[in-house]
This record gives sequence, C-alpha cells and structure tokens, in this order.
Amino acid sequence: MAFEQPELLRGLSAEEAQRVTALGTHVRLPSGAELFPLGAPADNLYVVERGRIALTLPMQVRQHEEDVLIEERSPGQAFGWSALIPPHRFTLKATAPLDSEVLAIPRTALFQYFAARPDIAYIVTQNVAEVMGQRLQVFQAMWLREMQRVVELRTQPARGSL
Amino acid sequence: MEMFLSVAVISLIGVAVSALLFKAAIHEAPPATPLNDERLLTLPPRFFVDDRAPQAHTALPIEVLRLQIERHVRLEQAAAEAFRDYPTAEMLQTLTTSPLVH
Repeated sequence: MAFEQPELLRGLSAEEAQRVTALGTHVRLPSGAELFPLGAPADNLYVVERGRIALTLPMQVRQHEEDVLIEERSPGQAFGWSALIPPHRFTLKATAPLDSEVLAIPRTALFQYFAARPDIAYIVTQNVAEVMGQRLQVFQAMWLREMQRVVELRTQPARGSL
Repeated sequence: MEMFLSVAVISLIGVAVSALLFKAAIHEAPPATPLNDERLLTLPPRFFVDDRAPQAHTALPIEVLRLQIERHVRLEQAAAEAFRDYPTAEMLQTLTTSPLVH
C-alpha cells in the first residue's frame, strides 16, 4: 500500500497487516464517483489508500437538498464502520472528490479471520475502539460549539434595543 | 339678558374656533418615505444602538453557500480536534474564521 500503517492495523506486524489487507479488494474511484449512498447495506469496511473520501449527509438549503460535508477521510484512515455495527446500513454517503483508491474489506471475511485469529482481532478491535472514541469526542465538541451559538442567538438582545 | 346672550354666543364661537384649531393641529401629515443613505451602511454600529438602515438581503449563489458550509465544517472539526488534544473550557470556545459565524 502507498501509506505506512493504516490506523486500523496499527500494532500489527507487517506480515499480520498484509494478511488482513489481503482480505480486501482495491477499488478505484474517479473524481466525483459515489462509493455508497446513504442507507445502503454496509457489507464492507474501507481504508483510504490514495486520494480522499468525502462523507456527506443531505441538508435542506433553500428548499433544495444539498449533500453537506460531514467528514473527510485521507490515506491510512478507515471509514464505513457501519459494516461492523448492526443493522449494517451506511448512515452517510461516500464520494471521491478526486481520483482515489480504497481497500474494501468484506465484513464476513474479516469476521472469519478474526474467529481464526483472536489475537489479531483484539488488536484491530482496540484500534477501532480508539478511532471511534476519538471521533465521538470530536463530534461532541462540534455539537457543543453549535449549541453554544444557538444559545447566544436565543439570549442576545433584539437589535436596536438597549 | 342681552349681556347673558352675548356671553353665551361669544363662548360658543370660542368653542367652535378652538375645535377647528384642535382638528387642524392633530391632522396627520402623510408619513415621509424613509431614505436609506448608502453611506450609513458602511458605518459601524453605535455603542448601544444599531440604528443603521437594514441592508437588503443578498442571496448568495447556492454553490458559494455550500462551499461556505464545507469550510465551516472543516474549521469546526479542526477546532474540535484541538479541544480533544487539549481539553479546556477555553479551547472548547476557540473562534474560527468561518464566515457562517461572523
């Protein structure tokens, strides 16, 4: 792969990491291509190998539905956690804003490998928990920052008054 | 008797004249059309009261608005990641240059 060590495989030896990545297939995405839509069955976990992946959600902007960026994933970063979490449906839409390549690891193959190698499963699961925990903390902070603005808008005096 | 009638007539005339003057005084002039001086729009708001004429709402092209939202998300995510690395109350409220919050 073009990057050092994906966050998902941190702590594994090169040989162990190679075995995990061998479970997946490489998917090339031209600029603007959609990898999966919102609500699609989540059967694969993905790792960005090259380029960038934009994760978006629809937002109503002036009576029009616009895909608004929620997160961006860069080489080495994993996405598509819904493949690991029931009900296994993607809660975001993934597109490639530029020519990109991702590694798609099927959930069934990954879980079969984990069943055979619980020591690897333990390390990968730790990585998953760490990354998901950090993203939760970031989103908690983003949510509070937006709430702070809502409170300020609600409590500020009307314009033009003393 | 004549004197009484004279006083009564003069009083009535006085009341009538007062009524006419009062009516003329309270007659409302048509409201003047407010003029928005363009130069006032460029002035900063005063300390207590923002008495500038309201600016006309300029509708941004939807593409520009979408780019502003994306920029806002990236800046907010960076600020939230900085808070995650150094969690303090001050870091949580760090200002960004996002045009959506200014």
